[in-house]
Amino acid sequence: MVRSRMFAQSFLSLFTALMIFLLLGITAAAADADAFDRDRYIYDFAELLTDQELSELQSLASGLGKERNTAFIIITLADSQGKDIVQYVEDFYDEQAPGFDQPHGNTAILAINMQERDVYLAGFKKAEEYLDSGRMDQIRNKITPALSDGQYFEAFSSFIQTSYDYMGYDPGVNPENLLFKWWFQLAVSLGLAGSIVGLMAYRLGGRVTVNARTYMDSNRSKVLSKQDRFIRQTVTRQRKPSNDSKGGGGGGGITGGGHSHSGSRGKF
Amino acid sequence: MILHYKCPSCGSDMSFDADSGELSCQSCGRHENIANYPEELKTYTFSEDEAKEYHCENCGAVLMTAAETAATRCSFCGAGVVIADRLSGDLAPAMVIPFTISKEEAVAAFKKWCRKGVLTPRGFMTADRIKSITGLYVPFWLFDLNSRVQVNAVCTKVRTYSDSEYIYTETKFYDAYRDINLDYIKVPVDASEKMNDALMDKLEPFPYDQLKDFKTPYLAGFLAERYNYSDKELLSRAKDKISSYIDSYTRSTLSGYQTINYKSKDIQTTNVKSDYVLLPVWMVSYDYNRSEYIFAMNGQTGKVVGKPPVSKGKVAMWFSSIAAGSFLALKCVAFMMGGGFW
Repeated sequence: MVRSRMFAQSFLSLFTALMIFLLLGITAAAADADAFDRDRYIYDFAELLTDQELSELQSLASGLGKERNTAFIIITLADSQGKDIVQYVEDFYDEQAPGFDQPHGNTAILAINMQERDVYLAGFKKAEEYLDSGRMDQIRNKITPALSDGQYFEAFSSFIQTSYDYMGYDPGVNPENLLFKWWFQLAVSLGLAGSIVGLMAYRLGGRVTVNARTYMDSNRSKVLSKQDRFIRQTVTRQRKPSNDSKGGGGGGGITGGGHSHSGSRGKF
Repeated sequence: MILHYKCPSCGSDMSFDADSGELSCQSCGRHENIANYPEELKTYTFSEDEAKEYHCENCGAVLMTAAETAATRCSFCGAGVVIADRLSGDLAPAMVIPFTISKEEAVAAFKKWCRKGVLTPRGFMTADRIKSITGLYVPFWLFDLNSRVQVNAVCTKVRTYSDSEYIYTETKFYDAYRDINLDYIKVPVDASEKMNDALMDKLEPFPYDQLKDFKTPYLAGFLAERYNYSDKELLSRAKDKISSYIDSYTRSTLSGYQTINYKSKDIQTTNVKSDYVLLPVWMVSYDYNRSEYIFAMNGQTGKVVGKPPVSKGKVAMWFSSIAAGSFLALKCVAFMMGGGFW
């Protein structure tokens, strides 16, 4: 009796242990199947950033990304691993399936390769539409000087911030249009107000309402004689500005997995 | 000699009536046409020492006048009197534009003008502090000027064209010569020392079709002054007034050129004719905030000139509302163009 009770007890404990083991195994397997953490945005393989910079960029990307429903991802590579940077970014998107709220979702990627000194910006889904190749060129041109100076943190945060800003403009318009700048709008409105009020104050005392024609006797006022003698002529010529754009470009494409994207490629 | 107009019917004082343009009697309403009035002041001469002191023809009181006063009211009995010796000989005006705006109309027009002031303080807009309003014939010289302008200039015409590789800029140089005759008639210059030149310039234009041969009854009941400056002294100011007109006319004869570089510019302006005229101006003196503001109104057209006080609050209000409004409008434009609102 006692024996049978002991057996039952040991069986129970064994069963519990088995269950726990099994449970652990399942979760481990699940973790394995989905090893990519979709909430991680900074992949500093080249180790360019300090821990603090890393966490600041991470919180910046997650905060601004939430507002635009887009994952802003930064990848730094120490070497090319035998792949072109564009290929690397496309494979990264295909294999890791990043996205803001779903696999293969809205994603903007900045990747740099320290060995080749390549920089590539790509936009997928919503980011492909809102951050087209033209805008990506603008962003790349903006951050390239900082990258060249080795100010990676500044360049990366500028990428996140600028991408966030540009996604606030409808596709197709130039986000760097002067009309969209608040300081330009402010300066124009202050200037307008100043000149209108100034004109009002100036005209307060009464205006001169006579002009050159008021007192002129138009019957007798005329040109009596005129002469226009050609002396010489000069011709200067200037070479037409060429239209082909400088290095970089590359633009977007389609990944092996069939995801189309925008892009901008350059050196730093 | 003092001229004073008594009504032939009732013996009251007569004065010029702006509404009818005739001499009128306020007591019995009799009107006298002025155009037919005999006038021989131009040929009349007074000996230099004839009068140092004038007496009112009506009541006999001494008339206290400034040296340039030609017409005034007797300060005792209020009769309109004209001091004829200050309007005779060289001082005889050739023509006059009589007032067509009466005192009541002038006050009403001034009040209306005050209400329109967008930057003037609220207390000023009611226009209830008019200290005095005086009808004054201001002496003007009307100059007929002839200008002969001869200019030599190097001018250029610029043309650009391009082929597949280059943009060409072709500049053609011309030697341009213009001989221009310009006539300006009846350019007014005020001849009174007291009057602010800038203020008087803004009163223009005066309607010259209203010019009448000068008759003293036009002045009855108004103030009038004789000129302080002769036409010779004012010729340079008249030339100044037309110099910008000459420049713009000269420039217009050289249209078609992109650049104009004057090598010589010879302007000979001669005074063809100068007439001494009296032009009607209402002078309004206004008290506001312990300071006095002077305004002038064209006695024919009703145009008001003069600097009114400026309310800082209203300036700030206008400035901020225009700035805020246009800022908002720009934001909306940016939003409609596809940019974010903020």
